[in-house]
Amino acid sequence: MSINTLAASIIDGLLIGFVYGIAAMGLTLIWGVMEVINLSHGALIALGMFGALLAVQSFGLYPYLAFILVAAFGLVLGIIVYSIAIHRILDAPDLTTLLSTFAVSMIIIGAGTAAFTTSPRNIEFSLGSVNVGSSIILGTKVVAAIIAIITTVLLYLFLYRTRTGKSIRAVANNRAAAELMGIPSTKILALSFGIGTLLAMGSGALIATLFPFTILSGSTYELKSFVIGVLGGLGNPAGSLVGGLILGFIEGLIPNFMDTSWTPVIEFALFVLILLVKPQGLFGSEE
Amino acid sequence: MGSILELQNVSSGYGEVQVLWDISMKMEEGKLTTLIGSNGAGKTTTLRTIMHLIHPWSGKILFRGHDITNKSAHLKVALGLVLVPEGRQLFTNMSIMENLEMGAFSDKARKKMEGNIEKVFELFPRLKERRNQKAGTLSGGEQQMLAIGRGMMAEPDVLMFDEPSLGLAPILVQELFGIVDRLKEQKLTMLLVEQNVHLALTVSDYVYVLTSGRMEIEGPAAEVQKMDKVKKAYLGI
Repeated sequence: MSINTLAASIIDGLLIGFVYGIAAMGLTLIWGVMEVINLSHGALIALGMFGALLAVQSFGLYPYLAFILVAAFGLVLGIIVYSIAIHRILDAPDLTTLLSTFAVSMIIIGAGTAAFTTSPRNIEFSLGSVNVGSSIILGTKVVAAIIAIITTVLLYLFLYRTRTGKSIRAVANNRAAAELMGIPSTKILALSFGIGTLLAMGSGALIATLFPFTILSGSTYELKSFVIGVLGGLGNPAGSLVGGLILGFIEGLIPNFMDTSWTPVIEFALFVLILLVKPQGLFGSEE
Repeated sequence: MGSILELQNVSSGYGEVQVLWDISMKMEEGKLTTLIGSNGAGKTTTLRTIMHLIHPWSGKILFRGHDITNKSAHLKVALGLVLVPEGRQLFTNMSIMENLEMGAFSDKARKKMEGNIEKVFELFPRLKERRNQKAGTLSGGEQQMLAIGRGMMAEPDVLMFDEPSLGLAPILVQELFGIVDRLKEQKLTMLLVEQNVHLALTVSDYVYVLTSGRMEIEGPAAEVQKMDKVKKAYLGI
């Protein structure tokens, strides 16, 4: 194996890592703001994949335009899901929100199976490739990574530079105090769930341009999001990006030395290790 | 007339436990009203009920004559009812500037944000020096100042304080009451809940004494101060 092949495969992994990063940001944002572990995260990612497929195949949209539409749809869907399935049980014991979001997941997967079956789909789309030594890097991966980076930057500008974004952070920090400052906390919570869903479905739409998928594919990415969330510190979106890159790096590196099927073993060993040694994540959550 | 905030026969509590029994209060515009009472008498519950953080069971709350009993907290803030909560409740992960900005969340307050930030910094110069620091890194006294400053940012018509002197060193308590005095000179209507009864009585205009969830005594501060019952129970004389 040449150094070039190794470099190419690591670059490849890192590019995917950015996309994992925004998927995990969706999960960690919802946790950070309302302490809900969103078990519908994976199903929403898969829904994003099929949303993109539908937009591209049935309406002939350009895949990245489909990404924007799917993300926008995710925002609206998230607000609706919050209103129906989350809001009333927000202060109930943790198990209740777990069950509720799991139910949302089952509904999406059930309806998706009925509509699309579970046979693999993919979006026929290519942007050519770049040669790195003897290896190639797909153009779609480069663009997906760039879109993921732009999404992260926009999320940060939103959370740190706008009044609404700051009020999301205020609600995350102290909901009762936010309400006492005149911040309509219910609206802010609904919006946050919407943004979390936007990120999940948006990441799904990007992943759909890279790999084949079924309605069940989301669970893999949900698990990756948990690993990344714990790596970067749950509730810390910046940590998610770094966590995504670490995971991408591992996925690029491992197949050069051992069978690819070892990758999840190593990832989850890392997950357990982080939980044991530094449960607040490598970069800690702010709290 | 002149009453800006009024409670009429309000009862309230947590779950099955009734804490407030039929209490009535009137806050005069531009005056400092103090609510005193022993631990567990229901002082904080009164403030929380006014803000609708807990729902009143019966009775009415009027603001400038309008019934606001069932308005949620963030709508009451927009009207001008602002509570500086017990234990400060700052946004500890956010900077001092951001905390002040969040204080000015309502439309009314946002228009005057720049000017009000200047006012707060003038009152609390230490906050200005540290404006980009996270609120969680401030000392207890500075946090209390920020909590008050954040309350002032909301352009309050009635500013309510829940135990502002709690946990502060004596010198800071003095400073705090100096600030309350300055706000009083500016004719801000205030409702003060305080365990430092002695100091509270010296600055306030009107006093209510809550005993086991019932309003036991009320009157002008100068009179209440002289009552034997108050002297014995709260002033230790």
